[in-house]
Amino acid sequence: MATLTEAPPPLTPTAPEETPPRKRGRLVPYWLLLPGILWLLIFFALPMIYQASTSVQTGSLEEGYKVTWHLSTYWDALSEYYPQFLRSVLYAGSATVLCLILGYPLAYLIAFRAGRWRNLIMILVIAPFFTSFLIRTLAWKTILADGGPVVGALNTLHVLDVTSWLGMTSGDRVLATPLAVVCGLTYNFLPFMVLPLYTSLERIDVRLHEAAGDLYAKPVTTFRRVTFPLSMPGVVSGTLLTFIPAAGDYVNADLLGSTDTRMVGNVIQTQFLRILDYPTAAALSFILMAAILIMVTLYIRKSGTEDLV
Amino acid sequence: MAFVNWLKRNLVVIAGLVTLGYLLLPNVVVTVFSFNQPKGRFNYEWQQFSTAAWQDPCGVADMCGSLSVSLQIALWATVGATLLGTMIAFALVRYRFRARGAVNSLIFMPMAMPEVVMAASLLTLFLNMGAQLGFWTILIAHIMFCLSFVVTAVKARVMSMDPRLEQAAQDLYAGPLQTFLRVTLPIAAPGIAAGALLAFALSFDDFIITNFNAGSTVTFPMFVWGSAQRGTPVQINVIGTAMFLVAVLLVLASMVVSNRRNRQKA
Amino acid sequence: MITVTNKTDHGGDVRLTGISKTYGSFTAVHPLDLTVPQGSFFALLGASGCGKTTTLRMIAGLEEPSSGTVFLGDQEVTHLPPYKRPVNTVFQSYALFPHLDIFENVAFGLRRRGIKSVKKQVEDMLDLVQLGEQARKKPHQLSGGQQQRVAVARALINHPKVLLLDEPLGALDLKLRRQMQLELKRIQTEVGITFVHVTHDQEEAMTMADTVAVMNAGRVEQLGSPTDLYENPQTTFVANFLGTSNLIEAEVDSKTNGDIVLKAGGAGKLVLPEARCSAPTTTGGRVLVGVRPEKISLTHADEAGEIPEGRNRITGRIADSSFIGVSTQYVIDSPVCPEFEVYAQNIDRDARLVPGAEVVLHWNPAHTFGLDAAQSLLAGTVDSAGIDEQAAV
Repeated sequence: MATLTEAPPPLTPTAPEETPPRKRGRLVPYWLLLPGILWLLIFFALPMIYQASTSVQTGSLEEGYKVTWHLSTYWDALSEYYPQFLRSVLYAGSATVLCLILGYPLAYLIAFRAGRWRNLIMILVIAPFFTSFLIRTLAWKTILADGGPVVGALNTLHVLDVTSWLGMTSGDRVLATPLAVVCGLTYNFLPFMVLPLYTSLERIDVRLHEAAGDLYAKPVTTFRRVTFPLSMPGVVSGTLLTFIPAAGDYVNADLLGSTDTRMVGNVIQTQFLRILDYPTAAALSFILMAAILIMVTLYIRKSGTEDLV
Repeated sequence: MAFVNWLKRNLVVIAGLVTLGYLLLPNVVVTVFSFNQPKGRFNYEWQQFSTAAWQDPCGVADMCGSLSVSLQIALWATVGATLLGTMIAFALVRYRFRARGAVNSLIFMPMAMPEVVMAASLLTLFLNMGAQLGFWTILIAHIMFCLSFVVTAVKARVMSMDPRLEQAAQDLYAGPLQTFLRVTLPIAAPGIAAGALLAFALSFDDFIITNFNAGSTVTFPMFVWGSAQRGTPVQINVIGTAMFLVAVLLVLASMVVSNRRNRQKA
Repeated sequence: MITVTNKTDHGGDVRLTGISKTYGSFTAVHPLDLTVPQGSFFALLGASGCGKTTTLRMIAGLEEPSSGTVFLGDQEVTHLPPYKRPVNTVFQSYALFPHLDIFENVAFGLRRRGIKSVKKQVEDMLDLVQLGEQARKKPHQLSGGQQQRVAVARALINHPKVLLLDEPLGALDLKLRRQMQLELKRIQTEVGITFVHVTHDQEEAMTMADTVAVMNAGRVEQLGSPTDLYENPQTTFVANFLGTSNLIEAEVDSKTNGDIVLKAGGAGKLVLPEARCSAPTTTGGRVLVGVRPEKISLTHADEAGEIPEGRNRITGRIADSSFIGVSTQYVIDSPVCPEFEVYAQNIDRDARLVPGAEVVLHWNPAHTFGLDAAQSLLAGTVDSAGIDEQAAV
């Protein structure tokens, strides 16, 4: 039995001239943003500026570098390393297409067909992350080893004949060929394709499939006209999340490839950490960044998806 | 005919499972080869079964030391990135302010930038400032690239939160601080936890940015990279397998617990 | 049950003076004066976007008024944040804290005010809303009706001077809504706290509230008891929004001892009591004549001679009829009004009253009301509500 005999809660009456409380809160968002944004400005944006300035410097390690607006560094870097640039785009592009082809069925399976296995499959997609990707990439050396079962099978099926004709492999080898590098890139970035695809597929109301079927669409038509268009945001962010890191990667090219498969990442790494030619390395890195930004912007504009974040 | 129909209907399932197999194959190889007893310095060819490496996981010089460095860096990077990222996420979702678009782009850029570019430019900065490369420069770099991912994870959770819950708390005599501690934070916790987990995984496994900015400090991925040139000890596979198993077991255990809790309540 | 000792003071009065709210160029609430007396059950009724929720949120402190003042009793609270106001809210879709169990949800306000021993109070309150058994469940484990009662308990336990309810029954199905209407009314009578209730459901407002304020486009159209609003609407919006009204444009012909005689198209003379006309009337001026569908009798044209003298009458043809159990609803096509609605009780049904039949509509002139002709005939009808909303957005 509740009894309402006590007085209402004593609440301090406040003089009306006191400033409204929400005015004081005007600065709150800026204080919340300040540390994180400063961090990004100092350790992400500022380095970009330093790098841009380094790329137009001349000099040597011993005598120091000076900004001389030596723009020909860019030209020299491009003319010397354009094969590596082309390879980066080619390998990363192939890996992205492969990721889409391989990843879509898996994302579709998890979203619509897995039933009570859904969580387990999700775990199996994410769990490999917990083993260092370098260890997993090294495992491909074993899988693709010369004379191993995979290479043997590919040889028997005459797949290697086709890939050698395409210039992706040479002779009986897979390891140390472009195919191995693309295979490693595909493997490494596949989860970055599957997860965004899954997210956008999962949002699709299953009743839409039924509605399409009800309106005389065959399963293939339903997929082409309903499911795939609705999963476009996932396709766009998946391809970006795959292509961008793949284009800058040098680990796969180094571990699974040879000197003939060097990508632009390998060049930057070598210039920076071994040869210590900072201007060239900075110029290469700047070109890579600009190229990717331009490609990404064009791609996003073309696919009409702005809300990626 | 029946088989062809079955195949037609389950084609996508089969294709999906093939992809899953492709994703898991390297882990199987890593596990199997953790029981290998290689002849030379490299552990790429199967020789014979042995549990020697499992009995002495730290038997390789410097490996467990690098593991400990990686764990420390991952821990602190997680703490830092989660704290800063959560603050940014709240500011973005809960307040209207100028420069919102600029802030959003600044958050998005590190995720759309190849690691090698960030790594190289950060190294330029450190060289120009004359900073001593090592633990601290690695930590700074890791907080930087984990930050955006935390923001994204927390933002998603906070955005899906009903603003009326905070209004209800205010209506029930909770001041701004109380509202945040008693309502906002507990409800946003799963998003923050997801962001933190992601940050930890990214930091622990990072190689490219670390390799540029580590100086003479060696993290676990750097140790693996080095051993790929010098010779791969079986213990690397032991660590990789153990981490995979621990992760899967932890997730499974947490699922069982939450399932049971839900069933008890219902 | 529950005794209230402070029923006579005015601590629970809500006084709004000149209060308004604008968002950029959009005015959600035009300057508004309103007094809700202590202990009353007050309803703010209107379509979505009419400003009723904004008004409620300004009382709660969740929205700061662009102008004007809010008084609770003698205390000005215009600029007080919500956590310093002796006012509690039952939110739309309840806003129960998902991470706390029912007990902790209800105890939340007490704990924030630093009250240590909350157990007894919370248990009593949960008993009041018949949820004593559910104390340790999480909100998502309860049904909609139970969640609704938790939301009420969570607010009431703080003994607010005023309880604000924002569409509290909107998420419930029809049957449960009826039940909860009576339940809320019972609780309000027991605790004697001022209730301010926002709803778009006119039946809900009329069932529960002592006083109803009908809001439209940021203004209060009319304020009064449910009966008063229904019987004497002052604007076409109120006439159409609360129930259904038949409105006829007519011209003032003459005035005789308290009655106005009007001419309406081909309908002949209609009589309207002067006291029931809210518009100024001059001979030759125009008025809208209104009558509620259930006040009208239908007689087949063949028996027009049997209608008693002194009743207002209109002829027409039945366009449509629908049988809905307690009554039959007719739509009549008449020269003065294309869709005249008539609800007839199913006592003695005349088999000739089928679509196409010629009929005479007649009613007691005392049931006629008059409105200013300078307003839209359609304000407050279903068709115009959609347009208003779009305009508001």
